[in-house]
Amino acid sequence: MITGKRVTLAAAALALAGIGLLPVLTMIARSFFVDGRLGMEAYAALFASSQRLLPWFGNSLLLASLISFSATIIGAPLGVLLARTDLPWRGVFAVLFALPFFVPPYVIAAAWFSALDQSGSIGRLLPEGASEFLSSTFFGLSGCVVSLTTSFTPIVMLLTMAYISAVNPRLEQAGLLASRWPNVLWRITLPLIAPAIVFASVLVFLLTLGEVGVPTFLRYPVYPTEVLTQFAAFYDFSAATAAALPLLLVAAMVLTLEKSLQRTSSATIGASMTNAPNGAIALGRWRLPLLWVVSLWMFATVITPFAALLGQAASLDALAQAFARGGDSILRSVVFASVGATFLTLSGFFCGYLIHHKALAIWRSVDALTLFLFTLPGTVVGVGLISLWNHPSTNVIYATPAIVILGFLAQYALIPTRMTAAVLQRIPPSLENAAELAGAGWFTILGEIVAPIAKRGLIATWTICYIFCVRDLGIAMVVYPPGSDTLTVRIMTLMANGAPSLIAALCLILIIVTLAPLLAAVFWRAASRPFT
Amino acid sequence: MSMIELRSVSKDYPGRRAVDAVSLRIETGERVILFGPSGCGKSTILALIAGLLIPDAGEILIDGRLVATAKRNLVEPSARGVGMVFQDLALWPHMSVAENIEFGLRAKRVPKSERDRRIREMASLVGLGDYLTAKPGELSGGQQQRVALARTLAVEPRILLMDEPMSNLDDALGEQLRGEILRLQNELSFTLVYVTHNKEEAAALGTRTIRLRQGRVETDTGVV
Repeated sequence: MITGKRVTLAAAALALAGIGLLPVLTMIARSFFVDGRLGMEAYAALFASSQRLLPWFGNSLLLASLISFSATIIGAPLGVLLARTDLPWRGVFAVLFALPFFVPPYVIAAAWFSALDQSGSIGRLLPEGASEFLSSTFFGLSGCVVSLTTSFTPIVMLLTMAYISAVNPRLEQAGLLASRWPNVLWRITLPLIAPAIVFASVLVFLLTLGEVGVPTFLRYPVYPTEVLTQFAAFYDFSAATAAALPLLLVAAMVLTLEKSLQRTSSATIGASMTNAPNGAIALGRWRLPLLWVVSLWMFATVITPFAALLGQAASLDALAQAFARGGDSILRSVVFASVGATFLTLSGFFCGYLIHHKALAIWRSVDALTLFLFTLPGTVVGVGLISLWNHPSTNVIYATPAIVILGFLAQYALIPTRMTAAVLQRIPPSLENAAELAGAGWFTILGEIVAPIAKRGLIATWTICYIFCVRDLGIAMVVYPPGSDTLTVRIMTLMANGAPSLIAALCLILIIVTLAPLLAAVFWRAASRPFT
Repeated sequence: MSMIELRSVSKDYPGRRAVDAVSLRIETGERVILFGPSGCGKSTILALIAGLLIPDAGEILIDGRLVATAKRNLVEPSARGVGMVFQDLALWPHMSVAENIEFGLRAKRVPKSERDRRIREMASLVGLGDYLTAKPGELSGGQQQRVALARTLAVEPRILLMDEPMSNLDDALGEQLRGEILRLQNELSFTLVYVTHNKEEAAALGTRTIRLRQGRVETDTGVV
């Protein structure tokens, strides 16, 4: 194998370990030091306060389980319906249902609040007693379930869509010769994509477990808030790292369980994947009723909260105030996210290449590490970064936006890595082989063969990375240097005492800023399409 | 000295042995057909000769030079003097016909004027002089086949490996291209190793046929 290739890929893997794993390991090591000496005091204190913390931990697990369940039972059938049937306007539905995932979950909570509050678009329509009840019930577990289900259902839906579209049509066609669609779907297709659904469900569980913004906004006490409180309010670093450890353990345990569950079925799904297009399932007489159900569901869960948010924010006064109070943080969010997305795309390209081609023996470890870092709560990653970089000699990172960028690179490495691997999957290996036989070096092959062919995929990767970076709250809230808060952090801070219209306007700006590159890409594509 | 020599070469894939202690010699200018059912190891042998796979056991020599030994590639694929036409042709879709042909010449740092001359020469050799600016997607199956051939031959390989290149073509087109391959081999005198499971193709193209089964040489018409 070409040396430059091995060195580059090893360097990319090493950089990922340095940026992501080293902070976590440092954090664990530092939790055993109190005031500069070795000791278990932080854990003793954590254990002593277990009476207070255990219910919070229970709340976190309950919330994560509920969201995982609800997102799966809604998202999986929705994914099947939108990817494989002849339901009208499937593309439009898919985009609209995916929308909530691209904005921070607490914005969804704010949007729901705008709708359900006594002065909100729905609250106003209800009798006083009912609206008061609805508004007060929204604060707490029920509001968290509504908001986070809206936020995370698209994960299950999109993964189901991606996997079901890739199932080898021959397998279904063989089944259709002997049976009808519902049976084929139930007995053949669903078992084939079950690993993807389980994976999506686990992902939702872990993302909910680490969620801080929504429970804080809706005043539901959960465990990650404890990590943040220990760090932000008391600046008790040892206590914060000790408190972070249970979350880290749960993430590792759940991922291990999920891996062992999937091991048996991975060979089947792997063997069944193909790029051949699949035929749509004819819904027949169910087409119209299902169209109604899906439309109503979309109206209730997507249109209603977003329209309410828009209604509350859509005044020149509110928007002017939002720009006055958050203008600098808007700019920072865009710059940080752009830089983060660029580095993520670059590092993810090499890590994705390494994983796709199994180019080094450590490819499995790199894959597992990206998944592990992605599922860690942002607050834990943030505390880890601080434990590594909070040192006078590394102030150039700790006291500057570089630490926010490093946080993005650690937490979101999974996205560009998996997306690159998926893009490379579609490039036949013979294209690279032919170039290699022609005498081209590896970098030439990357620059002149792989990158141009993968160009669209890489642009999409950058866009998705940008969206994740700009919507980030967990990392930014913990690590942002003084005077460098992002828009998500500014909104979260203002939520405590800002006017609802100001918060709604800032949320609206955040949505626009988040989706701007996606919309630009869609318009650019539409504009560049030739007229025929 | 043989052009290609395999000495007890083996290659394993997870759960099965694709090539099992194969030894063979291919002389300069021979047209050798590797023939056999799917999964018998034909394509794996081609990839081993090209250096795209590393043998698990045995040695591979090209023109008397040891290029690979167990678990090690001693000579990079690009330095073996080998060209390959892949089953899926592997034409780079974002490049024009001329750019596809030019790529290998540029990698070998051939001067621009010489590159242009070679592109025109190779394109006219395969009858595609008028299609230099076309992208592969704009060409028919037969034309794509010719581009793949021209691209491979442009760098003047001593050995041409072809991995079932006509499996996606109809009979008439296949026959026409077989004629062209014979003509080009006659003109350029390369050693041809051609993988197929089509008897007719094997008979029309080969001066020698090696039949493989379960990773082993079953019969070899070149060995008396």
